[in-house]
Amino acid sequence: MHANKKGLDSIRLEAHGLVKHFASRRVVDKVDLHCHAGEILGMLGANGAGKTTILRMCYGFLQPDAGKIRIDGIDRLDDPDGANRLIGVCTQDDTFDTDFSVRENLIGFGNYFRPRPSHIEQRVEQLLERFDLARHADAKPETLSGGYRRRLMVARALVHQPKVLFLDEPTTGLDPQARMSVWELVDDLRREGLGIVLTTHYMDEAERLSDNLLVLKEGKVITSGGPRTVLGDLVGEHVVILDANIPEADAVRQWLVMEGLKRPTKILNSWQIPLDGSGLAGFSATFGQLRFEVRPPNLDDLFLQLTDKRS
Amino acid sequence: MRLYLAVTAWQSWSVLKRHLTVYLRNWHTAALPPILEPVILLLVFGVGLGSSIPDFDWKGRNVSYLSYLAPGILAYTAFMTAFFQALFAAYIRMHYQKTWEGQLTTQVRLEHVVWGEALWAAALGLAYCVIVFFVIAAFTLSGWLALHWQGLAIILPLLFLAGVAFAALGLLFTAIVPTIDHMNIPFYLIIMPLGFASNTYFPLESDNLLAQAWLLINPLHHTAEGIRLLLLSNQLSYHLPAAVVLFGLMILILLPVDLRLLRRRVLGEA
Repeated sequence: MHANKKGLDSIRLEAHGLVKHFASRRVVDKVDLHCHAGEILGMLGANGAGKTTILRMCYGFLQPDAGKIRIDGIDRLDDPDGANRLIGVCTQDDTFDTDFSVRENLIGFGNYFRPRPSHIEQRVEQLLERFDLARHADAKPETLSGGYRRRLMVARALVHQPKVLFLDEPTTGLDPQARMSVWELVDDLRREGLGIVLTTHYMDEAERLSDNLLVLKEGKVITSGGPRTVLGDLVGEHVVILDANIPEADAVRQWLVMEGLKRPTKILNSWQIPLDGSGLAGFSATFGQLRFEVRPPNLDDLFLQLTDKRS
Repeated sequence: MRLYLAVTAWQSWSVLKRHLTVYLRNWHTAALPPILEPVILLLVFGVGLGSSIPDFDWKGRNVSYLSYLAPGILAYTAFMTAFFQALFAAYIRMHYQKTWEGQLTTQVRLEHVVWGEALWAAALGLAYCVIVFFVIAAFTLSGWLALHWQGLAIILPLLFLAGVAFAALGLLFTAIVPTIDHMNIPFYLIIMPLGFASNTYFPLESDNLLAQAWLLINPLHHTAEGIRLLLLSNQLSYHLPAAVVLFGLMILILLPVDLRLLRRRVLGEA
């Protein structure tokens, strides 16, 4: 956590009461966002939860039906150019200019900002070095591996020295090594004081990188806070893993209903039952004779819960 | 109003500059079609086919088919180049290369992208027309054509305006065609017929009221005829202001529609 950096003067992204409808469907419902300098705000939610729509409102692609977005104190609606000068965007899809080389992509991108980034060529060389792209500087982006393409996307988003960086699923499709190298870069950027908004489907990524998490379901924020707090709120303190095919399965199910607890999530032949401390004590007292494992919850449990149509 | 004012915004010109940079990088191959096409057309149709066509009466003066054709090729070039750029090239940048999406993550907004595409299409159309002028000048020097060149100061801005208007029409189809293959539908059902049924390659004169109405509202017809009268007779005609008004209306009406449809397509706006 980087709570010590928080303060009104360090707030980089502030959104209040965001609402968006598509046709008559409300896809974003009174969402608030806060991201401070040196902080990563992770947004989690199943497909259709509203993450992309929120990001697109932050980029200025879509206008909210209600609510305000401020980027480093600048109202996005009043001064879209000013707001866009302060944000860097790394979209989920690669959107390089395929007619240009890696270096030219970075330089060319700087032409789309006013005031122009100062000492652009020097800045580009620094970015090429930092993102380990120098040896590919004259190559076309499509010849790069997936990990290097992502590096280029992040580097491009930083050419104009923004104050808020939006990363929309930055490591989707990368191998583990490439993912970790992107994590390190993101972590470095956080330490340098950038406010970062991250969406991801990888729960370990969200858990490791995020200082704060915002969990969305059907356009609404269902909880927010530090990763551990969010897990405690939504999943519980423990997860019991149990063979789903045991003869006592019905008894376990009935016990959960009687105790008013959440239904188990079934993964292959096992049940995963989220429980708090007293729930675990009760479960152990009732089913102490069964073989089961107990582990701490993780964001995968949360994601499975969010995508469970029954919940 | 914000859309129309965006034509002066630096972002729109940055988009145009990007397209120009790419074009100039490939100028040696990209310049071949605009040079060779008018040469081939003038030789094949003007000289070749024209030798079988006796001089004919056009607006009270006797003209050869080559003389009739040369100004028509100018109007057709501005029309087709701008339309083609705004349809195929813009679609590729929007859909396959995702160049637009990258630009939109900066201070460039969709109205700037639209203006950038339209200005670029018009600028390229104008550049190709200038090349056609050089080709026609070569034909004039060789004695095959006798043209008046005083009207160039009027013709060049008119061709640029035509390019912007036809780019606005091209962007309309870019916004609505589901796939690149579907572009054949507007191209062969609307654009090719429009390109030819406009007094570009042959005179379309008729007593039929529908044909007359078509010619009256057809800006390409006014462009071809206006340029032809200037080049062949050094004569200003009502066709020139008619073309300007019609192009102005096209721009005023089509660009907001383009923007609305592209917002839906590119930005996901409902």
